[in-house]
Amino acid sequence: MERFKLSLEGRERVGYAVILIVLVVLASGLVKLQLFEHRGLAIQSENNQIRVVPIIPRRGLVFDRSGNVIIDNRPSYTVSVVPAEEATGRTLANLGELLGMDTTLIRSRINRNMISRYQPASVKRDMSFEKVAILEEQSKRFPGVTYQMEQVRQYPGELGLEVVTGYVGEVSEEELSGLSRPAYRLGSIIGKKGLEKQYDRPLRGREGTAYIEVSAAGQILGEYKERQPVPATPGANVTLTIDSDLQRSCAAALDTFCCGAMVAVDPRNGELLAMTSYPTYDANIFSSVIPESLWQEISSDSTHPLLNRPLMGLYPPGSTVKFIAVGAALESGLITESTALKPCLGGMQFGDRFFRCWNPGGHGSVGPAKALEVSCDVYLYQLGLKLGVDRLSEFYDGCGFSHAPGIDLPIEERGLNPNSEYYDRRYGVRGWTSALVLNNAIGQGELLVTPLQLTTFFCGLANDGIVYLPHVVKRIAYADGRTVSVSPTVSRRLPFSEATLRVLKEGLRRVVEGEQGTARSLRNDLYSIGGKTGTAQNPHGEDHSWFIGVAPLESPEIVVCAIVENAGHGSDVAAPLVGQVIRGYFERKLLDETITVAEDNTEP
Amino acid sequence: MTLHYAAIDWKLIGAALVLSAIGIMLIMSAQHYADTAYQQQYYLRQLMWLGIALTIAAVVLHFPLRFFDLTAPLSYFVSLLLLVLVLFVGTARMGALRWFSFGPVNFAPSDFAKIALVFALARFFAYTKLPVISKRRLGFSAMLALIPVALILRQPDLGTSLVFFVILFGMWFWSGLSPLYMLLIISPLFSLVAASHWLAWAIYITVLLVFLLLLRPGFVFGFFVVVANLAFGIITPFVWGRLADYQRLRILTFLDPGLDPRGAGYQIIQSKIAIGSGGILGKGFLNGSQTRLDFLPEPHTDFVFSVLGEEFGLWGSLIVLLLFCYIFYRAVRIAVRCRSRFASLLVMGSASILLFQFLVNIGMTLGFMPVTGLPLPFVSYGGTSLVLSWTLIALIASADYRWQEY
Repeated sequence: MERFKLSLEGRERVGYAVILIVLVVLASGLVKLQLFEHRGLAIQSENNQIRVVPIIPRRGLVFDRSGNVIIDNRPSYTVSVVPAEEATGRTLANLGELLGMDTTLIRSRINRNMISRYQPASVKRDMSFEKVAILEEQSKRFPGVTYQMEQVRQYPGELGLEVVTGYVGEVSEEELSGLSRPAYRLGSIIGKKGLEKQYDRPLRGREGTAYIEVSAAGQILGEYKERQPVPATPGANVTLTIDSDLQRSCAAALDTFCCGAMVAVDPRNGELLAMTSYPTYDANIFSSVIPESLWQEISSDSTHPLLNRPLMGLYPPGSTVKFIAVGAALESGLITESTALKPCLGGMQFGDRFFRCWNPGGHGSVGPAKALEVSCDVYLYQLGLKLGVDRLSEFYDGCGFSHAPGIDLPIEERGLNPNSEYYDRRYGVRGWTSALVLNNAIGQGELLVTPLQLTTFFCGLANDGIVYLPHVVKRIAYADGRTVSVSPTVSRRLPFSEATLRVLKEGLRRVVEGEQGTARSLRNDLYSIGGKTGTAQNPHGEDHSWFIGVAPLESPEIVVCAIVENAGHGSDVAAPLVGQVIRGYFERKLLDETITVAEDNTEP
Repeated sequence: MTLHYAAIDWKLIGAALVLSAIGIMLIMSAQHYADTAYQQQYYLRQLMWLGIALTIAAVVLHFPLRFFDLTAPLSYFVSLLLLVLVLFVGTARMGALRWFSFGPVNFAPSDFAKIALVFALARFFAYTKLPVISKRRLGFSAMLALIPVALILRQPDLGTSLVFFVILFGMWFWSGLSPLYMLLIISPLFSLVAASHWLAWAIYITVLLVFLLLLRPGFVFGFFVVVANLAFGIITPFVWGRLADYQRLRILTFLDPGLDPRGAGYQIIQSKIAIGSGGILGKGFLNGSQTRLDFLPEPHTDFVFSVLGEEFGLWGSLIVLLLFCYIFYRAVRIAVRCRSRFASLLVMGSASILLFQFLVNIGMTLGFMPVTGLPLPFVSYGGTSLVLSWTLIALIASADYRWQEY
C-alpha cells in the first residue's frame, strides 16, 4: 500500500507540475486564438460590428426628344419610430395627432415592422413635406421619431404615355431568381413594365455601399471609420424619341371615345414620336404601395386600362391592308397598273355565298389605284382569288405581319397571319375552302395585327419600301459622361418593286386627294397627306375604325395610325382624329420655323 | 496583536493586488459604453469592494491560525446552516436560489462554505490518526464535502459544487494520497463520460481492469472501483434524464458550441472572437469592439478575461496568467515550508479553490471548458468573489507568516 503514499518532495513536485500544466494549457489556448486564428477571428469581429448598407443611386431621368423631363424623381418621406428611444405616452400621442392616426394603429404598425428595439420601424409612408417640416422643427415633441427620405418615380399622367414608360416596383421573388444577385436584392426597385423594364440596367445605376457600426442589439452607432464607403453611380438619363406635343394631342384625341390607340412614327428612321393606349392608368399609383381595392378596380375594368393596345392589342386590320394584296398582284404579274377586273356591282357571288362590297351601290370597273382610293372590296376579292391563300400570306409576312416589330420595349404581340398550313391545322385538310382568301384580302377573317405592326408597314410604304426598326430611345447619357445614341436600323424591305410602290403610293394619295377618296375630308392647304381608312368587322360589336395617315406625301416624315374600338367607319371617326393630330404637328412645325426665321433675322 | 510587517509575503499580496487593479480597469472598460450610469460605475463599486476585501484580509491576517483550527467545526456547521437557509429565504435570480440580499449587497453562502470546508478538512486531516487510504478516513472526508455539495445542487449550481470536489481532491492529495489512487477513486466519473458510447465504454472498462491488475490496490478497494465504474456507466442515461435543461444544454454546447448559437454557445463564440481578434498587442484600452458593442456577454463578470484578451492581446493575457501562476507557486512553497499540518493543508485547500476557478474561468473564455458561471478570482466583478479571493490570500499569507508555529 506504500505506493499510494507520496513524500513531501513528491507532492511538491506534483504541485509544481500541476501549475505548469495549467499554465501551458491556458497559454497554448491563448496562442491558438490570438496568434494562429487571429486573422479569421479579427474578420469575424469586424463583421460583427459593421452592417453593410446599400446606397441607392438616383434613378435616371427620362426626357422627351426636345429635352423636357418626362419621368422625374420626387422625394418621399417615411416616418418611423425607434422603439428604444420612444417616450411612453408622449411620442405616440403627438405623432398620432400630427398624422391624424389612431395611436393603437401606430402601435400595431410599429410592432409589425420592428426589427429590433434600436432600429426604426416604419409607421407611415409618403408623408407630406409640411408634416416632415413640423417633425424637424418640433423634434423635442417627438422623441424617438425619425423619418427616411427615398426617391419615388413621378410619371406624367397627362401624356397618356404609360404604354411607353411602364412603371417600377419592388422586385418579386420570381424576378429575383432570374437576375444577377449583386445588382438586385429583396426590396430593390426594378422596372416592371415599359422602358422602365427594358432599360432598367442603365436607369438604375449602380448601388454604393456604406459601412455602419452597430451594437449587438442592432443599434446604429454611426459610420464605420475603418472602411471607405463605395459611392453609388447614378442612373443614366434617357432621352426618348417621343414628341410630347404630338403625344399630348394623341392622348387628347382619344379622350372622347371608349377605347382605342394611336401610334406615330417617323418613317425615315423608325423613331416613335407618340404612342398611346386609351383608357390608361396612372403609373404613379404603382410607384408606392397599391391598395388592394384599387388594384381590383383596375384589373377588373371592362375597358382594360392595363392592356397595351399599340403593342399587344390584336385587331383585324380591315381595308388598311388592301395595299398588300394589290402590291402582291402587281408584283406577281397578275395585274398591271391599269388592269380592271370584273366590275363591282356592290358585291360578288363566290360559290354559294354572296360577298358584299362595303358600298352596296358598287364601284363599277376600277384599276388598282382607284380600287385603293374607293377601297373596293370586290376588286380585292378577285385579287385574293388570283393570289391564293398562301401567296397572299407570304406577302403579308413580307410586310411584317406575324413578326414582332422589334421595338425596344419588353413585350410585343406577333399577330396572326393565316396560311393553308394554319387552316389545315385549324379546320383539317380539305376542311376549308378558298373562300377564306376573300376575307383575308380585305383584312378580315382570321388576320390579326397590332397597331404598331400596321404603322411600321405604312412607314415602309411612305419610305420607298424601307422599314426602320421602330424605337423609342434616342440617347442614353451615362453618369460617367459616356453617351450612347441609337442610330436607325433597317428592319426589313417591303417585297415590292419601285414600280409597284409607285402605284401603291398613288393609292395612298388618292384616298385623300381622289374624287371618291374615303378620306377626302383631310384635304387641306397646309400639307399634303395620304393614308388609308379601315373599317374592321369584329365579333365584339360595332366595327373598329382605322386610319393611317402619311404626311407630307412628297417626302413623308410622319405616319400616324389610329384605331378607335367599336366606333364605326374609318372615314368617319379615325380619319378626322389622325387629321387633327397631323394638322397640329405641322402647325407647331410651321410656328417653330417662323420663330427660328425671325430669330435669324434679328441677328446683325 | 501587531504584526512584524517585514515578515509578510508582500510579493504574494502584491501579485493579488495587481490582479485586482487589472480587474477594476477591465470592469471599467467592460461597462464604459453601457446605457446607464449605474453600470458605468461598476468599477467604482468594485474599488469599494476591494477596500472591504483588503480590510477583511488584514483582519484575517491578524488572527492566529489556531483560531481557525479550533473554530473549524463551528464554521462548517454555520456554513451548512446558511446553505439550508438560502433555499428558503434566498433571492431567486435566473432560476437559482444562491444569494442572501441585504439591500444592495448580495451574499452567496456557498462562498463561505468553500472556506469552511477547507477549515474542516484541514482540521480533520491534521489530527486524524487513520492511515492514508483507510476507508473511514476517505469516507469521512468525502462526506464533509458531499453534504454542502448536495445542498448547493439543490439551488441549483453545478459549477460551484465542482469547487467542493476540487477542495476535497486537493486536500486528499496534500494529506498524502497518491494521485494514482485518486484517479481510481474518481474513475467512475470517466466511466460516466465514456458511457456516452458503448464501444468507448467497453474500451475504457478494459483499460481500467488492466490498470487495476498491474497496480493491485487491494481486493476490497479494487472490487469497489470496478462496481462503481460499472454502476456509473449503466446509470448515466438515468442521470442525464434527471439533469435540468440548462445543465444539459451547457454540457451539450460545451461539446458543440454551434448547437445553440444564441445561448451558451453564442457566448463562447463571441468570447473566442473577442480574444482572438485582440491578437498579440490587443485593440487598446476601452477600444475592444466586441466589448464596446455588447457582443461579449457578461463582460464584467464571467467573461472579464475576454475583455483583457481583446484589449490587451496576448502579452496582457500572459501577464495575468503568470501573476496567477506566481501566486500558486508561492502557495506550494508556503505549504511545503509550514511546520503545522493544519496550516499546510489550509494553504493547499485555499490554493485549490483559486487554481480551479482560474482554470475553469479562463478555459471557458478560451472555449475548452463549459460555461459554469465561476468568476475569475480577483478580476471578475463581484463583492463576495473578491472578499473570498482576498480571504484565501490572507490565509495563505498568514500561514507563511506563522510558518514556524506548530
